[in-house]
Amino acid sequence: MSIERYPTAIPPRALDYPTGTLPGLLPNEAELTAGVTIIPGRTYGFFTDTSLCIGCKACEVACKEWNALPADNLGLTGDSYDNTAALSATTWRHVAFVEQISTAAGDRVTAMTPYQSNWLMMSDICKHCERAACLEVCPTGALFYTEFGTVVVQQDICNGCGYCVPACPFGVIGLSHADGKAHKCTLCYDRLKGGLEPACAKACPTDSIQFGELHELHTRASQRLATLQERGVPNASLYGAPGTPGTTGGIGPLHAFFLLLDRPERYGLPVAPTLPTTRTRDSLLIGFVTLVSVAAGAFAVFRGQKNHG
Amino acid sequence: MDDHQPRAPYGRRRRDREMQSRPDSPRSSRQYRGESYYGRPAIRPSHWGWMIAGYYFVGGLSGGAQVIVTVADLVDPIGNRAIVRAGRYLSLAGLLASTPLLIADLHTPKRFANMLRIVRPTSPMSMGTWTLSIFSLAAGLTAFAQLLDDTTDTPAATTIARICSIPAALSGLMMASYTGALTATTSVPLWASLSHILPTLFGLASSASAIAAITLVIEAGDEPEAAAKLEPLALLIGAAEVVTHAMIIKTWQQKGVTGAITTTHLNPAHKVGMVGLGALLPTAIHLLHNLSGRRSRETAISAAVATLVGIFIERVVIIFGGNESARRPTDYLQFTQPEAAKGSQE
Repeated sequence: MSIERYPTAIPPRALDYPTGTLPGLLPNEAELTAGVTIIPGRTYGFFTDTSLCIGCKACEVACKEWNALPADNLGLTGDSYDNTAALSATTWRHVAFVEQISTAAGDRVTAMTPYQSNWLMMSDICKHCERAACLEVCPTGALFYTEFGTVVVQQDICNGCGYCVPACPFGVIGLSHADGKAHKCTLCYDRLKGGLEPACAKACPTDSIQFGELHELHTRASQRLATLQERGVPNASLYGAPGTPGTTGGIGPLHAFFLLLDRPERYGLPVAPTLPTTRTRDSLLIGFVTLVSVAAGAFAVFRGQKNHG
Repeated sequence: MDDHQPRAPYGRRRRDREMQSRPDSPRSSRQYRGESYYGRPAIRPSHWGWMIAGYYFVGGLSGGAQVIVTVADLVDPIGNRAIVRAGRYLSLAGLLASTPLLIADLHTPKRFANMLRIVRPTSPMSMGTWTLSIFSLAAGLTAFAQLLDDTTDTPAATTIARICSIPAALSGLMMASYTGALTATTSVPLWASLSHILPTLFGLASSASAIAAITLVIEAGDEPEAAAKLEPLALLIGAAEVVTHAMIIKTWQQKGVTGAITTTHLNPAHKVGMVGLGALLPTAIHLLHNLSGRRSRETAISAAVATLVGIFIERVVIIFGGNESARRPTDYLQFTQPEAAKGSQE
């Protein structure tokens, strides 16, 4: 646990369980492991601080284990240590690696910069947008906003129409050809209901992935950003926090937001995405008007033909 | 196995390796230079393919036909009876093909009825599902009443058909065009750049293909001379389509997203099939017919066949082009730059 998180080094509830073995599932375990009390009706999310990521992929493993996701991407991609490649229906955490080994002029770098030493490592995830495109285009109502402010696909309703897939501005949600439905990160909805913090946040050894109430995470992120910039990392920036890249075009704040150390495009993230459904009404209306014009043209033509025999 | 992302071609990846220089702040004013994450797509393509292209084609034709022949029936039911009859039966054929195509395309087809759980105004697919349902009922009843009229002596059949054709035409207005709104309400650059044009293109295409199909049916029937009545309308719609195609090409160029079409095998399909056969050739023929006052049966049938082939190709080019567009990270990351940083394209 990082010292910045708690006024004292040991969270108070840890003192209730001084032995190595536990009596069973702890009630409100998230208070112990993340210092967060999970109350339905409050907004929770992730702050992923990539300046702390060590690229261990514990988050990927924990996510796969908890959600019983199948193993996939078993080969090597050749893209540094990233053999997962992308988020998909069966991969809900994806650790991205970029090795920044040359200067703009093409020479090898000779100095190790503070934080991450010329590496970019970032654990990508569903952004759980404030206004989620996947949800707004879903025709069955399978996608819904939970009582924790997250976005979840109900697997017993989805019929695999696949409209959410091209709608997502971040390329997150995918269709599984194995079971015919759409899948994505649930922010461990089942764990939240049981008072546990999400699996990836619990597994992360450096607290790069921090789970908590969104407003608290925003405060923490701004402080962290200021600290980093003081310590000689001028290119650090937030992605998905209110008013930062990724929240544009009607999407709103991302409930899973990031602290990045380079331009978002280097991670494959769009700087100014838009929510596609802000265009729905105008689009449908324009189509309607087009056909009304066709009908008007038809009326004029047929009327003329009738009058002139 | 799930849908693993396809990898970018080698040339694009080599350029990305060269781009991995010192970090850069997103607030820096330098323009986006084409960086991406190993040339991997930043969004996911749809799974839509031939079946959805087929639905766009038959569903649009069905809706367009209902709109046009309902107007024809209301203006001059006696003079336009061949047109009305052909249109109503074609509309029935189209809607009978539509629902099975859509159900088969679902990845869990047995849950197709879940489409009717909600009405979601932000989702063109939700609005379209309800449109299809209402249209299928109304146009189906219209065709059934038309059949009664044609095969029996029921005097009320004509009136019943006319009454049912009103909601059929009203829902047909959406049937013929909503698929354009549906395709554009995504994050795919080739589609999203056309939010305000694609519904027009699809609406006109649906109407043009309806007229072409009705023409062929009438020419093969016992009142072939009635097909000539459709010539002026075919010309108007064809001309509007040509203008719309020009606007689309211009928009794609302005947004820098033409690569998905111009650098792939879709380029000839777009130029020759979608624009040439679908709009330019038929419009030229209809112009000739209307200006000269003479109409040869052969050229009229050629125009109709070209229209149908070209408009089917149009649906295919849009869908497959969009899927290709989604696989191009630089297209999307350029398309989603903040307005101030967007410079000249292509």
